[in-house]
Amino acid sequence: MNDLIVMIQIAGRRCALPAREVQSVIELGTVTPVPQSPDHISGLTAMRSQALTVIDSRVALGFSADEWSTDSRAAVVAIDGHSYALVIDAIEDIATALGESGEVTGGFGPEWTRVATGMIETPTGPALMLNIGQLIAGPPNDGKTFAAAA
Amino acid sequence: MDDLLADFVAETREMLEASEGEIIAWEADPADTARLDAIFRFVHTVKGNCGFFDFPRLARLSHAAEDALADCRSNRRSADSALVTAVLAVVDRIAQMVDAIEAGEDFPEGGDDDLIAALGNDNEDDGAMTAPSPLPGPVQDQDEDGDEDGNGAEPQAARRPSASSGVQRSIRLPVDLLDRVMSGVSDMVLARNDLGHRLRQAGNQPTIDGPFERLTTILTDVRDAITRMRMQRIETLYAALPRLVRDLSSELGKQVMIDLEGGDVELDREMVEMIRDPLTHIIRNAIDHGIEPPGDRLRNGKREIAMLTIAARQAGNTISIVVSDDGRGLDEEKIGAEAVKTGLISAEEHAAMDREKVFQLIFEPGFSTADAVSNVSGRGVGLDVVRENLEKVGGSIKVSSTPGVGTLFTLQIPLTLSIIAGLTIEASGQRFAIPQSYIEEIIHCSGKALDFTRVGEIALVTFRGNRVPCLMLSEVLGLKGSAITEGNRTMVLMRLASGDLFALAVDRIDNHGDLVVKPLAPAVMKTGFYAGSTLLDDGQPILLLDVTNIAAMHGLVSDARTRLAVPEGTEQASAAKNAQRAMLFSDHDGRLCAVRLELVQRIETAFASDIERSGATAHAVIDSTILPLVGLPDGPLPSDKLRLLRLSDGNSELLYAAREIEDAVELSSELKPVKDDPLVEAITLVGARTVSLLDGHRLFALHGEAPRTTARPVCRLPDNDWARSILAPLVRSAGYDISDQCAAPSGDSETSDLLILFEEDYEVAAALEWTFNSQVIRLRNLPQAAADDETIYRYDRDALLDALGKARLALGGKK
Repeated sequence: MNDLIVMIQIAGRRCALPAREVQSVIELGTVTPVPQSPDHISGLTAMRSQALTVIDSRVALGFSADEWSTDSRAAVVAIDGHSYALVIDAIEDIATALGESGEVTGGFGPEWTRVATGMIETPTGPALMLNIGQLIAGPPNDGKTFAAAA
Repeated sequence: MDDLLADFVAETREMLEASEGEIIAWEADPADTARLDAIFRFVHTVKGNCGFFDFPRLARLSHAAEDALADCRSNRRSADSALVTAVLAVVDRIAQMVDAIEAGEDFPEGGDDDLIAALGNDNEDDGAMTAPSPLPGPVQDQDEDGDEDGNGAEPQAARRPSASSGVQRSIRLPVDLLDRVMSGVSDMVLARNDLGHRLRQAGNQPTIDGPFERLTTILTDVRDAITRMRMQRIETLYAALPRLVRDLSSELGKQVMIDLEGGDVELDREMVEMIRDPLTHIIRNAIDHGIEPPGDRLRNGKREIAMLTIAARQAGNTISIVVSDDGRGLDEEKIGAEAVKTGLISAEEHAAMDREKVFQLIFEPGFSTADAVSNVSGRGVGLDVVRENLEKVGGSIKVSSTPGVGTLFTLQIPLTLSIIAGLTIEASGQRFAIPQSYIEEIIHCSGKALDFTRVGEIALVTFRGNRVPCLMLSEVLGLKGSAITEGNRTMVLMRLASGDLFALAVDRIDNHGDLVVKPLAPAVMKTGFYAGSTLLDDGQPILLLDVTNIAAMHGLVSDARTRLAVPEGTEQASAAKNAQRAMLFSDHDGRLCAVRLELVQRIETAFASDIERSGATAHAVIDSTILPLVGLPDGPLPSDKLRLLRLSDGNSELLYAAREIEDAVELSSELKPVKDDPLVEAITLVGARTVSLLDGHRLFALHGEAPRTTARPVCRLPDNDWARSILAPLVRSAGYDISDQCAAPSGDSETSDLLILFEEDYEVAAALEWTFNSQVIRLRNLPQAAADDETIYRYDRDALLDALGKARLALGGKK
């Protein structure tokens, strides 16, 4: 009931991440680009001695990278033993969830429905609860086919 | 108590693993009583420890085995295979009991007597009586956990044998703790680099610089040790295999010999665990299906005893393990028919498949060609699981086979964490890393030397007479064009595991060093361009290129090795020319020289600080290898950077200093032999200039040395501070490596080539009639020598050096 959530903004919308899945928030340093990788992967950055894959959340949702300015801070999450830094518009606050996440009739729009687990009420109003794994997977069929080993 | 019990379980297991190989070796040669020691030590320690823990059944079993082994050791009875089997059965039972103890379960009663009877000890009765000496009979029914008190003095006495038995002491740690320590140390290195950077900005501060240097040295050591903590030699995996093979082959009535290679290949501890089951499975499979019964083998003109070879190799960031047998091989027809029958493929698909593809079907789920379902394998759950497990950790498996000759399984496993030697290069302003193992040669492309051309879309360079395809790294990665023109890039020639050669054009070479390779996120791995990431010293992550895959994407890997070569006629012609090609350079006397091209390995650049010319022959350090250096001018060095030709005759190497290196030329004119300069073979004309052709034979006869890092004999020193701090540097400078073990008077001196002992220790050894397998230098403490004494005063430098030199010569002659 009173799970902690991290309030963030992606592409101008208020979203929430489960606080237990966010390891830390870092100042994003130099990002090494990864040529030939999907668009939503901005590159690699170092957190202490660990290499993080930097995910541009806006692009991962299918939005353009130019439309929204982003925070210099990124949220660090770990999925399947790999750590990622999520580039987002802003990190707002840590809040307590007021209830379980639930569906809204009509959905949240195609981009959002794919990555959302549902809407959640917070002290500062409703927010979209995100499934981090889906977010990192990036847009489906993002137009690129990768040359497999011949 | 729980801690102690866990220790007991862990220690027993470790010794068990270590002794299994010994048991098999002993069986192969029952007369080899040296092998017995490890097994004897094992049962002895178990016996001692169970006394302490009050496990009467374990004590009885181990005691009986100990008795039997003791008889063998003292030659009261001879070992036969029945005895080995009995001892193995006891060892197995001990392992099972230990498992039960760990799980906190009760081990089923009974059966022990049979095992003990099988040992056939004459003195079985009194053995059983003396065995549980610290244990009165009634204790047997007591709960194992109820013995918290009592026996306080016994444990020490009982455990001591294990401590002194030479088994390396070890503890068990959870892997994430290691990970944490490791990343902590890596962080410390980065923090140190940051601090170093700031210190440099602040200028010279002697009071801070000293301690900072010390910190750096310590950190490097710690980092080294920590990294090694996670790595494990594949030997630990090998240790259990001889036993497995022995058991399986005797069960199936076959005779199999196992040959293990590459035990010193290191890989991640976790990875060792991950491949244990797949490897076991493949071995089972090979013995069950691949290897024929001895009768069939003899009929087919093969040796009765089959050979199973397991070899591990590290190549870049993958380990390949090859399991090969000399059995009947895979039956293509049968596999194909079976696959069609079980509906894996249709008949048409089968018809369209080539041999190799058909073989790979054996990894499909539900596939089995075994005529009869045996106990060991052939239930259709096997190779598919093997492949699945390997793929789960990012590995792969392939099989190839020749009917009647054998089958070869190749497992490729990545090193999740591995330190590899790598090169950092730059393309379009971005840095990347390449595993050093692929790199054949680096050539600074100056247009005409490599004959860079484009044929259609593909770029080609000419390397030693062959046209080699060339990839532009910037193009491959789709980076924006670089500032450097196509012909002026640096070519990194890479040799793939399949033997194919290709050139990768990069903007420049940055650095080389050890890289800690870390895995990448799946989405990045999927691109197929990268094998991992690594952090540079400044903390910036860079990508490690997946060379094999990049080559494969461009169709540069050929299974059949259809090499892209210059047409045959020209190749022969150029081969003939190669025999007469030479590298032209001017030496420091201003003379124009040439040296045959086959001898030239590469061109090195050395700093004056790397050159040491105090001895008769000068030496230079290249890539931490000390090589002899010829051709230096007599006076001071002309510049602080020297160009050196690295020459090799295949075994030894030497460097030849050059003032200016010109080009490779053809020696078309007549060679006129000369006599006055021993190092010159002949004089010839190149163009209109006279050139002295160096005599490779004389050069290597006079100056050639094998690179010193590999050829140094090992010396063991006395165990005291004087030897470590004063004697060791002298011995080292005389060309020896110092062994980690000290030269205590003991019998096992095989691990060194030379032993330095103080006279008093030598006398002890002589009194005990130890024989020394290595050469011995005896030192005395006093300058005055007794008559006809072979000892050397410990500060008699000349005599010592003389003795060391003589010993080295003798060793050289031996090898």
